[in-house]
Amino acid sequence: MKITGYRVEQYLMRLDRAIADCNLASGVDLLPGSILFLETDENITGIALGAGAGLDGLFKFIEGADPREVVGLWCRMNDSLHKIGNRGITSFGLSAFDMALWDLKAKIEDAPLWRTLGAREGRVKAYASGLDYCLTDEELFAFYRRMAELGIDSGKLKVGLDLNADMRRLGIMREALSVASRSPALMIDSNEYWSPKQAVRWIRRMEEKFDLIWVEEPARRWDYHGLRQVSRQVKAAVATGENLHSVADVYPLIANRAVDVLNVWTGHSGVTGCLQVARLAQAFDLPVSMMNAQANYMAQVAAAIPNHWMMEVVDPGREHCLKFDNRIEDGFIVLGESPGWGVEVDEKKLKELQAHPPTGRGQFPFPRREGAGRYIVPPAKGEVPW
Amino acid sequence: MRITGLETTLFACPPAGRRRTAGAPFAGCVVGLLTDSKLSGIAIGGSDLRVELAALTRQFLKGEDPRAAPALWQRMMDGRARSAGRAKTRAAMALLDLSLWDLKAKANDEPLWKTLGGSRPRVNAVASCSDGTLNDTELVKWFTDLAREFGFKSGMLRPGRDAGTDRRRLGRVRKALSSDAGEPELAIDAAGNWTAEQAIRRAREVERRFDLAWIALAAPRRDATGLKKVSDSVRAALCAGRGLRFPGDFQPHFQERSIDLVQVDIGLNGITGALQLADAAFGFELPVMLCAAPGNIQAQLAGAMPYVMNVEVTAPRPTEELFTTDVRIEDGHAVAGDAPGNGLGLNRAALARAAVQKLPARSSGR
Ligand SMILES: [Mg+2]
Repeated sequence: MKITGYRVEQYLMRLDRAIADCNLASGVDLLPGSILFLETDENITGIALGAGAGLDGLFKFIEGADPREVVGLWCRMNDSLHKIGNRGITSFGLSAFDMALWDLKAKIEDAPLWRTLGAREGRVKAYASGLDYCLTDEELFAFYRRMAELGIDSGKLKVGLDLNADMRRLGIMREALSVASRSPALMIDSNEYWSPKQAVRWIRRMEEKFDLIWVEEPARRWDYHGLRQVSRQVKAAVATGENLHSVADVYPLIANRAVDVLNVWTGHSGVTGCLQVARLAQAFDLPVSMMNAQANYMAQVAAAIPNHWMMEVVDPGREHCLKFDNRIEDGFIVLGESPGWGVEVDEKKLKELQAHPPTGRGQFPFPRREGAGRYIVPPAKGEVPW
Repeated sequence: MRITGLETTLFACPPAGRRRTAGAPFAGCVVGLLTDSKLSGIAIGGSDLRVELAALTRQFLKGEDPRAAPALWQRMMDGRARSAGRAKTRAAMALLDLSLWDLKAKANDEPLWKTLGGSRPRVNAVASCSDGTLNDTELVKWFTDLAREFGFKSGMLRPGRDAGTDRRRLGRVRKALSSDAGEPELAIDAAGNWTAEQAIRRAREVERRFDLAWIALAAPRRDATGLKKVSDSVRAALCAGRGLRFPGDFQPHFQERSIDLVQVDIGLNGITGALQLADAAFGFELPVMLCAAPGNIQAQLAGAMPYVMNVEVTAPRPTEELFTTDVRIEDGHAVAGDAPGNGLGLNRAALARAAVQKLPARSSGR
């Protein structure tokens, strides 16, 4: 089998509910979507949800190749980016090709990707993550209660601009999750808004009332001094990694003991790069946690990572043109037997979305909020509904 | 496909025409992991692991789908957390992992390197003479034959009595490996027998005349502080990793940068553990050397590892008729073919003739 070509479909998706973190507290409900279709000479197509950029420049390194040699092809693409660097939007292009290649590899075997990657079970523990800064207290409760009713016993709250509100909302999240567990696991995420010492001050205050299992991005992604300092000064583990793009980016954090839980995802240079990061973490006895993904497709990879802890589930409703073979049951994402990602594109729906793009509130990617790392700018009047 | 059982055969055969390790017989254990299909997973190890293999198979593998090879490796590691560090348990786990991956690849009817996602391996091969007792004539003949037939341009030998001996022998090996292509690459495998201080004196002395590419195990394998000290004192890269049993054992070496080249041994880490280590090493910008294994199947992994420098070869082709391999050495490189699985084939009749009940006390597993 040979790679023959590719196409990218762009579209806009209107989420079923808005999402936000403290950087863009008012939230968005309109996101750009893209799908990469990687074509072969044998009528099997690989897909990647999220197509990145710079695909033309990378395609020549995989054209005519056998998709089953995906790791070797990853090395070739990665080497080709030597000067420009495997960074930013280009990195997402490499990721997209890698993801589509793994989809093909599994489809050639007629197996779900988790089986191709060597998992024994297609099952991944889930945690709920509302990206909930723009939800009212009632909506916040409803979201985590709905998740708890699926058996999910852990939740991650967006925080950062108002300590009292953060504390109140942590209580609401805990209450909502309490039907799944008597002591739900609680996490917070401040998305790099705080300086390390602000993080220490606020987290210590939170820890007087709440037992947090991890605090996410309490300092900037590359600031290993800051991250390590927070880790030493609070009880909770420090989670970070979602804004890094390769194992090379992760290396300084691990070498400097600045991370306790690694957030991993496709943006770490595809499935291949994500596995590299997970394996590096494993050599240092660190757990990893898979970031949220459309249709939870990355659970396919998480299932095959031995040091994987639990995967983020946001479920804002962004699968309108997708059919997927997984469900949440007893707090776990349970993957089916459909080959590859187990995700199919409903091309008719996709065409409809393209022909009649939805409207809504959109700004993507999220910017960094004023004051970040220096001073806190509380939500303006009407910026958040709580 | 489900695993149904296991067959093991102990074998020993006298040293073949070319001498291996000081006349020690080539001996070991052949594993066949049986399934409810026609396929069986093959692996060859160097010691009598029958008890451990049987227990691990019964407890962790029976009824399982071999396509879950990595998960089954983790299952064995977790299930035997207390004893996984014992040499025999660990070697048995590695052999079973090799057989499981053989099955996973055979189930796809493709070579192992492809199952691993690799491109076709063509990787630098190092002629490694692990026998320190060869006299100069034997040593020169060994390297000359290998250079002539297989084009090796890289050689590793055990150190002698003193630096003077090393220089003399390195000079002869350099000559044996020299070709129109230029200067060969030379390395020493100290096998962990020196202290850091001894290593520094010896290596500096040798380096006055020879450019050593690396020194393997210049100090005991766990001594990160000692190895770092050596690395900071000599020009050669420091190479270690052989004999370490857990990924965590590599932590101090990564952390201290006490090694510059990471040895990865599928005989202890299986394929699953080897892939983990290779990716971790890549994360720390460290290249990997794949240690020698029967049939040189370690080369199958090279195309699926992001930062492989070379593979160690102690026997370029099976000298006995017991088994065949699909990895050939040509022009100083190890190249894998297209045979399904890890490429090991058994000569059943020869194996039956070489079968023994007990392995000889001194033997070579490679
Ligand atoms: Mg986050």
